[in-house]
Amino acid sequence: MSEFELLRNITIGQYLPTGSYLHRLDPRAKILAAIFVTGAVSFTPTLFGNGCLIAGCLAIVWLGRIPLSYALRGLIPAVPFLVFFAMLQLLFFGRSYDPASPVIFEWGWIVVTEAVARLVVISAVRFVELLIVTSVFTLSTRTTELTHGIESLLRPFRRLRVPSHELALVVTIAIRFVPTLALQAERLLKAQASRGGRIGGSRWRFVSRARQMLPVLVPLFAFALKRGEELIVAMESRAYTGGEGRTTYMQFQTSPLDWLAPVAALAFLVAMLSAPFPF
Amino acid sequence: MTGPGPLIVVEDLWHTYMAGTPFEHHALRGLSLEIRAGEIVGIIGQTGSGKSTLIQYFNGLMRPRRGRVIVAGQNLGARDADIGAVRTCVGLVFQDPEDQVFERLVGDDVAYGPRQLGLPFAEIRERVRWAMETVGLPFDAFKDRYTFRLSGGELRKAALAGVLALRPRVLVLDEPTSGLDPGSREELRARIGEFRARAGLTLVLVSHDMDEVARLCDRLYVLHDGAIAVTGTPREVFRERARLVELGLAPPVPAQVIQRLRERGYPIAGDGLTVDEAARAIATLLGAPA
Repeated sequence: MSEFELLRNITIGQYLPTGSYLHRLDPRAKILAAIFVTGAVSFTPTLFGNGCLIAGCLAIVWLGRIPLSYALRGLIPAVPFLVFFAMLQLLFFGRSYDPASPVIFEWGWIVVTEAVARLVVISAVRFVELLIVTSVFTLSTRTTELTHGIESLLRPFRRLRVPSHELALVVTIAIRFVPTLALQAERLLKAQASRGGRIGGSRWRFVSRARQMLPVLVPLFAFALKRGEELIVAMESRAYTGGEGRTTYMQFQTSPLDWLAPVAALAFLVAMLSAPFPF
Repeated sequence: MTGPGPLIVVEDLWHTYMAGTPFEHHALRGLSLEIRAGEIVGIIGQTGSGKSTLIQYFNGLMRPRRGRVIVAGQNLGARDADIGAVRTCVGLVFQDPEDQVFERLVGDDVAYGPRQLGLPFAEIRERVRWAMETVGLPFDAFKDRYTFRLSGGELRKAALAGVLALRPRVLVLDEPTSGLDPGSREELRARIGEFRARAGLTLVLVSHDMDEVARLCDRLYVLHDGAIAVTGTPREVFRERARLVELGLAPPVPAQVIQRLRERGYPIAGDGLTVDEAARAIATLLGAPA
């Protein structure tokens, strides 16, 4: 594998057209459903519950007709951090988390308790679940759909002076820039390597490593600012004035089937919250 | 031109982007070529034909997984290949290289590469001077200029100097004159033409501009869909007119003029590869002294 292919592992902001039920879903319904499922992940602290959640996530992946390996690809760059923090938690967190829990292993400073071991497993599983939900969501939703969805959902809050259109626009632009910036970073890494740059180096010498990144970071910032300015000019020259009185060419055609997804997700959330899981 | 063997050898090279994902795409399909010392080789082809992917193998930015790439005696497919040696042998200048300039002063930016090599100060200074003079930026006038104050053409030259300062034996240029104003373009083109004589460089030129490659190159490779479709001297390649059109490429403008005249029944000689050549042919036709 090439040491420079950054974009390979970034699934955020990519759309994978498979034409599944999830792809055809009204974006508003999909956003609500995603929020409910995320809620279910956030409020389920038990092993058993997370087992159910994993099953739910697999069902979502299947519904979206997305290859599981592809939905999980975003996990690859995060693995070192995950392992690092899991180890920290596991080894040094034992006494402070739940002192009453039985000790499995003890050696000097290091105390591993049953409660902490369970906590570590659950946190890791939760991270994977969140990643699956967000990946499937972005892989099945075009950014324009996402914008219109957010805007439409926030519209009732206009009275409270929530700038729904502008917020939606900010989100869209941020997501749209992720692959663009990754591609440019890849180009710059290669360009500097081509003129003798040794970028990377020892993983543990943070300061020298950060300094070595400057030849990539400085031009990357300049590029981001330049692209931002170009975007402003492009919008101004199209007489963009914000959301007021703006019409869209995209009209949502919602069928009752569309609202099945958020209802099912809400039911799932309620079930997860109220189920008396033994552990 | 019969050196001690070619500097770059590519044999049956395949490249797949986003392998193992639904976006999988074959950029190179069993491509073979070689670059010999002292040559100026042009690589042409439509957008998406694999040119930019191919040149990233020339200095080890990519390592072959299927096929063989040998650069300066190093087999890039081998785990123990000395990539540092390959990168100092082959300098690669990407498209729009001014994006990679990051220092405030021109001299500092050109010195980045040599400094990374850990050379002594005097040697670095000497290399920066030589690189800047070679691309046409007088050292004393430009070394302390702010990079963001340079014109487009000057910035492009500064970026080129940044690679030249590594003293490569082969210089690979991806669309070196694209996006410049006509004046700077013409000047940079002339400079590149002199690189071989001045710096003893072997050049690989990737270009869309047929007039450019016709004028500068000894040999051309025409890429199509990740493989070599046509190869030969510019004269040989541009004679294959029908084949080029099929590949979405047009011969240089002067050659087209000569061809059209011939089609209209004028007894005109030659191929008209460059403007000068075409002008001489037309002058002969009109009976004027060339």
